[in-house]
Amino acid sequence: MDTSELDQLNTILDRDSELREKIKDQVNEFDKRARTMVGLLNRIHVTPTSAMPDLLDSLNPVLDDCKELVGSIAAVIPPNQFWRWKDLWSNSLRTAVFAVVLAEFLKTRNLATLSAVSDRLGIKEEWKDRVSLAIEDYLHGIISVVNELSRLAVNSVTLGNFEEPLKISAFVKDIFIGFSMLNLKNDPLRRRFDSLKYDIKKVEEVVYDVSLRKLASLPTMAT
Amino acid sequence: MSVKPAFENFRRELDESNDRRERLIKASRDITNLSKKTIFLLHRLMLDEDSAAKQQQCTGSTSNGLDDRALALNASKQGYLRLREVQELYAGLRHELGKELFWRHERQVSPGLQEYIEALSFAHYLEHGTLISYGEVQKSLSDSDGVPYFPLTVSDYLLGLSDLTGELMRYAISGLARKGGRKRAVDVCVFVRNCKADFERYTPYIRELRKKQAVTSSSLEKIEDAVYAIFLRSSEYDIPPDMLDDIVAQSISSLSVHPDNRRDHRVQGSIRTLGFESRDMSGDEDGF
Repeated sequence: MDTSELDQLNTILDRDSELREKIKDQVNEFDKRARTMVGLLNRIHVTPTSAMPDLLDSLNPVLDDCKELVGSIAAVIPPNQFWRWKDLWSNSLRTAVFAVVLAEFLKTRNLATLSAVSDRLGIKEEWKDRVSLAIEDYLHGIISVVNELSRLAVNSVTLGNFEEPLKISAFVKDIFIGFSMLNLKNDPLRRRFDSLKYDIKKVEEVVYDVSLRKLASLPTMAT
Repeated sequence: MSVKPAFENFRRELDESNDRRERLIKASRDITNLSKKTIFLLHRLMLDEDSAAKQQQCTGSTSNGLDDRALALNASKQGYLRLREVQELYAGLRHELGKELFWRHERQVSPGLQEYIEALSFAHYLEHGTLISYGEVQKSLSDSDGVPYFPLTVSDYLLGLSDLTGELMRYAISGLARKGGRKRAVDVCVFVRNCKADFERYTPYIRELRKKQAVTSSSLEKIEDAVYAIFLRSSEYDIPPDMLDDIVAQSISSLSVHPDNRRDHRVQGSIRTLGFESRDMSGDEDGF
């Protein structure tokens, strides 16, 4: 190779590794915020229903920070290179999705849609080729929510909230039906989906225990 | 509340992406296959004594260098012809790899691409005796207007070239007994040594390159040993290299014409003294 060729390759590689560092810096900040939210949400297991709205509201300032950081990530990624760098922040993004979806469920009892979550995290449609919420990451986030809810079903009973397990059970089953509709290839998502049945079983056992003792009013039974 | 419609959408999109992924894996396998065949073809053509002899008759040339050159030009031409098939495959894939899709499926595309670069750079080496440039590889993967089908990564380029050194080792050693084979080995030795030095500075950026550098080192060592044997043994004969070539060629051809001669210790002995033991031919498998 002549020197100009060597230099050309060096320049490309240097530019790429610089870019990687820049993205990593932003992602690190984003990751901190995502973890902060998880930390806050840990308290749902000890928070009575009455105090829940305040707890959920405490996420808002952190979410605003997240929005800003997503913007600065989008600013450094070159066009069309979303998938090239995505692995750098996939994990942090899944954590953030988890926080948003869980908070939304506790607030409205609904599953936050993919576009609603993107919106909440400040991911703009026009950045599609640079920063976007991939379906896989959204689904990973949802599975983490189900994992968490199976714990909440148990702990809400401890707090004397006997209705919560029933709501969780309905939600979790709905999600399971949704996942069953997908043709997942043999990847981590598939393996995590396979583990969902244990969470569902755990929630169902709580529902069984609660309804057996007539602690909660069951939804109108068929037959 | 129902999540069904949303998940129906996800299914469609995930299926679409998985299907594309499968198609690219299949295409990549075909490309690997074609490229491997091209490499074998190049090796075969460079060892083809008959066509070499014919060419020598045609040109009436007695100089080994020129003869070897004609052989190499012919081989590279045929190699390029074969590789055009690969280029057409890539042209057909351009809509599957456009825009952000290339980066999504880079991992599926890389193996075939590296094999292609290995074959292309081998043909290029035979034609020019140099390393094909990054720009030239990208150009071979572009349409007639020079628009790339997809961006070529430096990593694929370098990893493809790194595999070339293994092929060159095979090329040098298996051709040793041929006319002009010793010069060939010396040239390859210098070339591979330069490659290894050039690649070294990229190893911090590309992790796999570090592993391949180790393979390159062992290839280089094999070539160096062969070249060492050549120099050492030819110093025992105080005759011009051309004449030495003829002696070797005669021994070899008498071997292949009369299989009975294999038991002729005199002939075998003369080959052994020149360092063409079977060990050299069989010891080069780990490059595959």
